[in-house]
Amino acid sequence: MTEFKPGDILKSIDGNNIKIIRFLASGGQGDVYEVEYKGERKALKWYRTFGTNKKKFYENLKNNISNGSPDKNFLWPEALTTTINNSFGYVMKLRPKEYHELSEFIIARGVKFPSFKAAIEVCLKITSAFRILHNKGYSNQDLNDGNFFINPDTGDVLICDNDNVAPNNTNMGIIGKPRYMAPEIVSGHNKVLPNTQSDRFSLAIILFIILCNNHPLEGKRWVSIPCMTPAFAEQIYGNNALFIYDENDRSNAPVDRLQPNVALRWKYMPDYIKDAFKKSFSREAILNPSKRLRETDWLKVLTRFESEIVKCDCGNEIFIHDASDTKCEKCGRIYNVKHKLKLPEYSLTIARGTWLYRCQLGSCNDTEALNPILHSVYVISNGKKVLCLKNEMGKELKAITTSGQVRMVKPNELVPVLTGIKFIVFDKEIKII
Amino acid sequence: MPNIIDTTEMVKKVLPIIYVLDTSGSMSGEKIAAVNEAMHETVDVLKDISEKNPDAQVKIAALAFSTGSRWITSENTLEDLEDFVWTDLVAGGTTDLGNAISELDKKLSRSELLKSEVGFCIPVILFLTDGHPTDSYINILKNANKNNTWFRHATKIGIAVGEDADQEALARVVGNSEAVISVHDNDTLKALIKVASITSSMVNSKSRTSSDTNNAVEIINQTMQMLPCKGVTLNKSSSSETKKTDNNSSDYTIIDLDESNW
Ligand SMILES: Nc1ncnc2c1ncn2[C@@H]1O[C@H](COP(=O)(O)OP(=O)(O)O)[C@@H](O)[C@H]1O
Ligand SMILES: [Mg+2]
Ligand SMILES: [Zn+2]
Repeated sequence: MTEFKPGDILKSIDGNNIKIIRFLASGGQGDVYEVEYKGERKALKWYRTFGTNKKKFYENLKNNISNGSPDKNFLWPEALTTTINNSFGYVMKLRPKEYHELSEFIIARGVKFPSFKAAIEVCLKITSAFRILHNKGYSNQDLNDGNFFINPDTGDVLICDNDNVAPNNTNMGIIGKPRYMAPEIVSGHNKVLPNTQSDRFSLAIILFIILCNNHPLEGKRWVSIPCMTPAFAEQIYGNNALFIYDENDRSNAPVDRLQPNVALRWKYMPDYIKDAFKKSFSREAILNPSKRLRETDWLKVLTRFESEIVKCDCGNEIFIHDASDTKCEKCGRIYNVKHKLKLPEYSLTIARGTWLYRCQLGSCNDTEALNPILHSVYVISNGKKVLCLKNEMGKELKAITTSGQVRMVKPNELVPVLTGIKFIVFDKEIKII
Repeated sequence: MPNIIDTTEMVKKVLPIIYVLDTSGSMSGEKIAAVNEAMHETVDVLKDISEKNPDAQVKIAALAFSTGSRWITSENTLEDLEDFVWTDLVAGGTTDLGNAISELDKKLSRSELLKSEVGFCIPVILFLTDGHPTDSYINILKNANKNNTWFRHATKIGIAVGEDADQEALARVVGNSEAVISVHDNDTLKALIKVASITSSMVNSKSRTSSDTNNAVEIINQTMQMLPCKGVTLNKSSSSETKKTDNNSSDYTIIDLDESNW
């Protein structure tokens, strides 16, 4: 059924050999093979269909290749093949074996996130990748659960299936995957085309799924639909879409018995995360694409969320609310918050491995949002474990000691966590309390 | 905080794939053997696809028609692929297509085959025949389209086996001559059943294009792309009568949204 067999040799348009090693998988648009290209193992995607306009599709792909990958986490097209039998393909990096597709996490047989912290890290990586993509003027236009290869242990993410990526408001014919398309696309009957704003709706769906393993628009109303015809689908995913936690209309609330993941988890989500989702799937954001959360809005709340999860001695994860002592749900022990950082908008628990990023200090430039500022580590000093904050800024950081003296902290230098120490970063004062 | 390791699978709608297979005398020998072989393999592949598919849980049913019709699979529920084994069909008798359609009309109902707590994706029905209907099916078909919302909305695909298959009848049954494929040799028939089943099972997981028309045509197009192309032709005899018949969905948008019609 496949076009090529192991050993077949194709040519890239710049004359390099692409040797087929083996068939890997089929997708909706084409087949993927493992190949050898310029002495390295790569993946080849070979097309069966090309959206609506083959020439435009080819030219766009060629453009994307010459512009280069927006970021190292994209499995970006690297080389085009010559045309054979009216079709062609492109070479990209091969997915390493530790990476799993998001769909494997959704079906939850075997492949799972080891912790919420890891799941949030994945949300951060995905959001950050799309921030970069959008900043470069591209939109994905087919953002769905097939776009991500995830390493659950490190939280690293590779973005795949980038062939429909095009300059914002230029469309290659693909309008998206059912259940992941923005409402205006679903209700647009092929006349409304995807763009950066519709990407943002799809992104919010993905983030919700990673955190809750349930689709944000599939509750009671979805369950009661006998048959998902286009007309019914429009009610669930189109302009009439209703968030399963919509505060004003509970008619699409989750069905606890059938949807235990979200039923269990939602109540534990911190308010700022709940609010971000409520806003993302509000009537307003459904009907008006400009009201959707931007990637930086997500980075702000996700970095906060990540830093508020600590591990209890029993191994259970605890969500710390408002940087105050919190009881472990599993063993009942109280987790003592000994120190916190008073930020302009909230207080942050300082535990082992807490990161502080630029976007947690207030509004900032999109490209700087995930620049690290401080990172907490334990060091052994005079035989004792001391919690310290490490300057991760890559440049000097101004600190004010408890006695009021100004000290410049060099990159990678450590400051012990002591109540009263202040830092002045980007004209903001943050204080250890 | 609950333990994230306790995550369970996200609930999915059920995608019924229903096989309506001609087991008349003319199918006996190599043809029915090819169908049986294809179905054994198809069941295995679909089981695997269904497990990995985050969008739909595939379940199947099979109705054989010859002199009368009978369910190969359970009569009152769709088969879960998890523990399903294909029982070989034996060919013999006439080609009572009308009887098969009337059986579908009876069983495509929420109190019969289509029971589920979470609801369904649009069912796919694959009709396979190598001959001409021997009973009168036209009025039965009209009634099924009129009275059975499931049948009307189902994604219907016709497979015409060999020269003698009544393509016109198949086109009428599936409501669209573009949704009929003709196949002329047994190897291709085997491949076709398998590939058409695979593409049907993934129809909800495929990204859409702005030129997509309907599921049946999408499944056929993709099936054609994935087949080794010899021995199979797309039915091009698009006489205006059969090109698109009763089930042009726009006529039914209003009742479609009334849950009691299902
Ligand atoms: N770079 C890659 N390395 C390894 N496997 C890949 C790679 N890209 C895609 N695949 C595999 O091929 C499948 C289909 O690829 P995809 O690009 O999603 O196809 P389509 O967009 O046509 O649906 C994926 O689900 C994945 O299993
Ligand atoms: Mg894809
Ligand atoms: Zn504990």
